[in-house]
Amino acid sequence: MPKFSFVRKAGFAAIFALCSLLSVAAQAQDDAGQDVNAKPVPILTGATFYSTKVTGGVMQNSPWLVPVLLVPVGDKWLVEARADYYPTFTTDLNDPEEHYPATNEYNLQYATIDYIANRYVTLVAGRFLTPFGMFNERLAPYWIRPLQGAPLTNSISSNTGLGGMLRGSFPAGTQNVNLNYAFYFSSNNTHHLLATNRATGGRIGFFFPKHRFEIGTSFQQLLQGDRSHNVGLHAEWQPEKLPVTLRSEYAHSSGTRGTAYWIESAYRLSQVPYMRRLELVGRGQQVLADPKLTAAQVKQLGTLGRDTNEGDCGLNYYIGRDVRASASYGRQFALNKDANLWILALTYRFITPLAPTGGAQ
Amino acid sequence: MKTKILISTVLLVLSIGAAVVAGAKTGGKDNDKDVATSTPTTNHAAQDDPLRLEGERAYHANCGRCHMAPPKFSPRMMGTIVRHMRVRATITDQEMRSILHYMSQ
Repeated sequence: MPKFSFVRKAGFAAIFALCSLLSVAAQAQDDAGQDVNAKPVPILTGATFYSTKVTGGVMQNSPWLVPVLLVPVGDKWLVEARADYYPTFTTDLNDPEEHYPATNEYNLQYATIDYIANRYVTLVAGRFLTPFGMFNERLAPYWIRPLQGAPLTNSISSNTGLGGMLRGSFPAGTQNVNLNYAFYFSSNNTHHLLATNRATGGRIGFFFPKHRFEIGTSFQQLLQGDRSHNVGLHAEWQPEKLPVTLRSEYAHSSGTRGTAYWIESAYRLSQVPYMRRLELVGRGQQVLADPKLTAAQVKQLGTLGRDTNEGDCGLNYYIGRDVRASASYGRQFALNKDANLWILALTYRFITPLAPTGGAQ
Repeated sequence: MKTKILISTVLLVLSIGAAVVAGAKTGGKDNDKDVATSTPTTNHAAQDDPLRLEGERAYHANCGRCHMAPPKFSPRMMGTIVRHMRVRATITDQEMRSILHYMSQ
């Protein structure tokens, strides 16, 4: 296993370096282009990062590669896809003699064809992220999320779908309020890499751009298995004059996954000399498990199977526009399952055109 | 114990909020000076462009909700990026156009 780990880590170091070179090469094309109507070009973007995670004394090291491909076609079409690949090397700090085999995981998070029908409607077909709450679609990328650990609400709903979606955003009668919506139908897929549930659902949100405040609701109806339905609420506020973001989500399932909510605050120390690139993050969350669960269901559901309280705090340091170092600590309280959660991560965001751009700024 | 931790977490969030308010009163106007929050610079002629001003407003209201300011790219790259974000972040058609204009200055 040590040799395997070294080879894997060396491989990812090479990928990281290659992505860095590609990004630098792309940004080196410094001409002045001002044409807003210029034809869009395909782009390869995404992130590489390395994370060390310690959960209850079990350490996991994972180098990640998360590419995102964007291919515009004509004026109204866009093909987009995001995947991830990460080997994981696990060590039990409480029992160093225990050896875990390294694992390789790869997923196609989404791959869709988007058609912008008009200013109100965009049609999406393919494998998509389900629009439930705000974390799954908007905040899940590791180069965006303020805390590297995902909130517990994220496991309540089905997070991917295979089928079609209608979505859009438009002013709701006034420039002060934008209505955004997304409604979808997903079919059942049992492929081990692309598994999705037969489900339908949607999200409606109201965004007040002047106040930078959004509130919305989501629902999801599973059409297989226990045919449970999930409902959610989300809100986000980013005061215009303060470098702070407040977010919260609530999710409830009528099935076995219970209820959970979280509230998060992210504060940039942009007024403090020498600390402008630092961000402080705090999050509290709670899971209220279904009291009627059997022992087998509790074991299967993990955190969602027992009442859980969790508090997390973290630091993000923006080394540059594209590089971020993160550290977080969390304490999880569950019956007979209290645990410390430590995460260290270094993230590099890359972006490069896949065709001549005719000059960049 | 759990209740104490939950209360502590809430207090942490509130204390951060209080620190934010205190910080804003002492110097909140230079928020955009560091690399991660800086916004694209433009020439003085562009400052008078209404569409640019609208784009700047839409940019801060929409893009800054989830991520830091990206560097400027060519208009052809920006065309792809804003089309992607129109779908992903459900921004309106008008906001997409004004953000593209602003980011292409």
